Amino acid sequence: MSYINAMITSGLAFAIPLFIMAVGGIYSEKSGITNLAVEGFQGFGAFCGAVVAVFLGMNTGLSSSAIIYVAMLFSFIGGAIYAIIHALLCIKFRADQVISGVVINILGVALTTFLTTTINTALFGNASNKFTLGVSPRFSVPGISKIPIIGAVFTNIYPFEIIILIIAVYAWYLMYKTKFGMRLRACGENPQAVDAAGGDGAKTRFLAVMSSGGLSGIGGICFAYSLLSQFSPSIYLGYGYLAIAAMIFGNWNIIPTFFVCIFFGIARAGGYQLCLAMGLASIYSDLFLMIPYILTLLLLMFFSKRNHPPKAAGEVYDKGKR
Amino acid sequence: MNSEYIVEMRNITKSFPGIIANDDVTIQVRKGEVYALLGENGAGKSTLMSMLYGMYEPDRGEIYIRGEKVVFKSPSEAAEKNIGMVHQHFKLVDNYTIGENIVLGIEPMKKKFGIFPYVDMKEANEKIAKLSKDYGLEVNPTDLISDVNVSIKQRVEILKMLYREAEILIFDEPTAILTPQEIEYLLKIMEELKKGGKTIILITHKIEEIRKIADRCAILRRGRLIDILDVKSTSTQEMANLMVGRKVELTTDKQPPKFGKTVLEVEHLSVYDESKVEVVKDVSFKVRAGEVFAIAGVSGNGQVELADAITGLMKAGKGKIILNGKDITNEKIRQRTEDGIAYIPEDRQKYGVLLDFNLRDNLGLRKYYKPPFSQNGILKFSEFESYAVRLIDEYDIRCGQGGLTSLRSMSGGNQQKAIVGREIEEHSPLIIFVQPTRGLDLGAIENIHKEIIAERDKGTAVLLISLELDEVMNLADTIGVIYSGKMLKVADASTLDSQAVGRYMMGVTEA
Amino acid sequence: MKNEKVPSEKGFFAWLAKVLGHEKWNSVTVPIFTIILTLIVSSIFLLILGKNPLTAFYSFLAGNGFAAKASYGAGNGMLSDFFAFLNIMAPMLLAALAFIFAYRCGLFNIGIAGQMLMSGFMATILVGYNKALPAAVAKPLVIIVGLVVGGLLGAFVGFLKYRFNIHEVVSTIMINYIISFLTGFFINSRYVDSITRSSKICSSAARLTCTKVLIGGYYCNVPLGIVVALIMVFVVKFIFDRTVFGFDLRAVGSNRNAATYAGINVGKSIIMSMMLSGCLAGLAGVTYYLGYTNTIIPKTLAGMGYDAIATALLGNNTPVGAIFASVLITIFQNGANYMSSTLGVAKEIASVITGILLLFSACSGFFRYLSKNKLNRIADEKRALERARKEAESK
Repeated sequence: MSYINAMITSGLAFAIPLFIMAVGGIYSEKSGITNLAVEGFQGFGAFCGAVVAVFLGMNTGLSSSAIIYVAMLFSFIGGAIYAIIHALLCIKFRADQVISGVVINILGVALTTFLTTTINTALFGNASNKFTLGVSPRFSVPGISKIPIIGAVFTNIYPFEIIILIIAVYAWYLMYKTKFGMRLRACGENPQAVDAAGGDGAKTRFLAVMSSGGLSGIGGICFAYSLLSQFSPSIYLGYGYLAIAAMIFGNWNIIPTFFVCIFFGIARAGGYQLCLAMGLASIYSDLFLMIPYILTLLLLMFFSKRNHPPKAAGEVYDKGKR
Repeated sequence: MNSEYIVEMRNITKSFPGIIANDDVTIQVRKGEVYALLGENGAGKSTLMSMLYGMYEPDRGEIYIRGEKVVFKSPSEAAEKNIGMVHQHFKLVDNYTIGENIVLGIEPMKKKFGIFPYVDMKEANEKIAKLSKDYGLEVNPTDLISDVNVSIKQRVEILKMLYREAEILIFDEPTAILTPQEIEYLLKIMEELKKGGKTIILITHKIEEIRKIADRCAILRRGRLIDILDVKSTSTQEMANLMVGRKVELTTDKQPPKFGKTVLEVEHLSVYDESKVEVVKDVSFKVRAGEVFAIAGVSGNGQVELADAITGLMKAGKGKIILNGKDITNEKIRQRTEDGIAYIPEDRQKYGVLLDFNLRDNLGLRKYYKPPFSQNGILKFSEFESYAVRLIDEYDIRCGQGGLTSLRSMSGGNQQKAIVGREIEEHSPLIIFVQPTRGLDLGAIENIHKEIIAERDKGTAVLLISLELDEVMNLADTIGVIYSGKMLKVADASTLDSQAVGRYMMGVTEA
Repeated sequence: MKNEKVPSEKGFFAWLAKVLGHEKWNSVTVPIFTIILTLIVSSIFLLILGKNPLTAFYSFLAGNGFAAKASYGAGNGMLSDFFAFLNIMAPMLLAALAFIFAYRCGLFNIGIAGQMLMSGFMATILVGYNKALPAAVAKPLVIIVGLVVGGLLGAFVGFLKYRFNIHEVVSTIMINYIISFLTGFFINSRYVDSITRSSKICSSAARLTCTKVLIGGYYCNVPLGIVVALIMVFVVKFIFDRTVFGFDLRAVGSNRNAATYAGINVGKSIIMSMMLSGCLAGLAGVTYYLGYTNTIIPKTLAGMGYDAIATALLGNNTPVGAIFASVLITIFQNGANYMSSTLGVAKEIASVITGILLLFSACSGFFRYLSKNKLNRIADEKRALERARKEAESK
């Protein structure tokens, strides 16, 4: 029983940051910009958050959980700013969107690793490539968490999970109920329609890509504060790509994507717990870590043909096109 | 300032990389009139109006609205001055409802619980319903755009303008995709709008429409203003000559047909699209040697899928396709080409050519894999070159650097000539033309029409699929009308007039 | 669209446009332009860090045997450094060719790193740990294993794309992680060297680099991989330029619909091009893991698999261009350690420079577009002037 509880608890802790990254991906792609850069966005965002956290930890008396919230804010800002490069390349410089995404990811790894080492050397005199952050405190909802199985959902929750869910609800509302969202989704189908109707397609897309970067950044810092307990190059574990896969199964819609992420999280944690339950050596955990990726491939086999990606995604939109 | 004119565009010049689209053009439009802009493709009509609509800014020249000088930086600024435009290619979002498309850009907002702003579609749909009743533009605001036909899409575009309280309405080639009956309906609506005090600017290359509706007409040729005419006092032939700049023949001369044996037989053919929808339904017909068999129909009624199924780009769901007595229903594309099908596709840049390749390679696209163009898998470019030189000469393909010209740098008309030349050179017993003159100017159209008739006179079976009713009436020996995937009518061309064909195109079977 | 300033025929930008927009030469001038931009931006970066960029660039060259270092260890010299440079350049060039092969057919092989790892791993356990094989058998066998394993992985990706419509970028990335964990598990559980924590080294018979060969009085590591890589450059070039097969692949890459229309079997082309791309990546893998490193660090994908994308883009996706691009990028990557030791900048700066280079390479289409536009505007202006002159004359 405890294995199942642990599976649910740690599954959610993995799924929810993944979900917000996927929402980031949706924002970009629904606006018509193919986004393989989620991996780079989340890493760069997490880096910004981590730097701020280290500074605050050194210079202020803020409590560690207060620092986490500030770090999340700066991860959002950092991710959004880094995303400007992708937006510029795709919208202004007519670069191939797939290539741009790959470039952003490579540059992200290089820049954050370099800067981390440089900052560590400057601050602490040791050329380490990681910032130690520790793990966010967790809480359980009294009462409900005692219920078998369902209680696991309310046990050992990271506060950021709640924040992410609130942000996700807001992201959904923004996408489907407001005029920004209406134009954003129209941009992904027919940007000419938006421009002709008096909206600014390029600006909408720009904002969408920046939101994408910000949301991914939040996902990144949450992984840094949970799974990794540090910021280091190991943040580039491919979860950004996993988020993209989740987005594809979710058919570019926020609510189905949520369930796909939960499924990924449970599958991954389930593998771990199975490994523990079977009493296997820790080496075997590598085999279980493969599970989400294999599942992704298998699921893609069944879902890829039925998918309807945004029609204009990936195309260079030339306003002057006649 | 003479405020007699609601719109004045003075000395407008606009150039795009490599072309001068408008050169010192001045037009003046009175309030409440229907003002036509007549010119061939590429004459600069759409560009001129795009500037009035704020899509581009002129390089030189000034625009006055109601006597007041304006500089539009975007369509929304033009919309503020009550200018609206129906574009030739509709600017609609397929997976949005009609209502959502109409309000996009000026969404009516309300606040839930006084804090959360949201787009209020309910109120918008009511307003749209009222507008559509006032002007006789029937639409259902909650229908998805992807589910309605072109005529309704056009109504949506008109409603978009009216919803924005536009007074100056620009129509860019509004009739190009409509059946004669739908055109009648549209012209009636324009009358309504005119009566309601709206000013209409109509971009077109069809003189008859101008005769029916316009008060005055400006003629553009190669970016320059040629003349401004009073429509009532000018003859059709005169307008045509002014538009093209030389005498034009409005119809193609042709000898009576000499039919040979049956080349293509399509039997009970059904085709299904990706989502398993039957887009071609149980179609049967025959094309004989020396015959132009033309398929008329409104866009999206299955004609492209029919051509694709015959050439192998799409799978045939049911039925048989027989070429010269051989069943080719399940053959590969290349085998069909070898068996004798040449194909000029509808979308030339999407299917017909490789834009990144040079002209020489594009001309060799049907032959490169076999001797003498290649031997043992190795290409022989000298063969490509001499073949290209011959075709460039014979089909008058204008290109800067001969066979090495990049296709991308060539004009649409010359790309089309290259495709037509390449396909004719296959000397296939069957040649399929789909929309062969789309987007070409009159000179090029005349040229292609002559090629089609020449092929027919040589004894080739020609299958022509066109959305342009004039083209069908002009060239066909036999006409088939396709509606909603079904072949509604097949008859000798001499027994049908364009009104009758138009009725079938709308699915009306009884006369 | 804005009213831009009236362009003139003269001035720096007009000259630049002429150079970059030249039909024939832009495939050379644009990459050079991106390199210059990169050098400028990296210099600024270095200056901000308080370092002398010229020293940095000299150190990059010296670290690769293109310039003299201040001092050398016993038995080492510029020539040793140069061979070390070739040793790492060989897999880089092969990996870039792998990317190019897929890209020409319109596919992105992001899985080069994984294909390299898998073929390096298979060659290591099948041949490298087999002490009985003589060099004359082992070395060709390593190459064959590389080709086969890489080819199979590539073909699998092509199959997934063709049969299930799975975007190759997503599938290759998933496969990269799967391979990384899978090989990591086997290395850790069976082949680990308990001191280095990475896989045991291969037999020297199987290794594709001949170590400590005495040339001109210096000990050099002579890579066989560079020969393989240069041969492959010409093979790839021949396939694309001269064969029907290459024509098919290019046609599919240029426009899939038109290729179908022309009767080309698109599915077969996709699978074949991914397979051959995989073969080249496999070659890169064996030259990397059985030539350069001679060991495999578990659960680590070679950054080269991604840097190869930069190399290919910089080389304009042509095989010959890839030679020059891989020289340049290898200089940065391989010279980083020496540069770091002389300048005291973290060696990751090399990756940052590569990243910036990649960023500008991704914009090269935009540079061409801008120059064409500028040239067109100049031409328009000339024509307008000409016409004005004629009109004035006729009056």
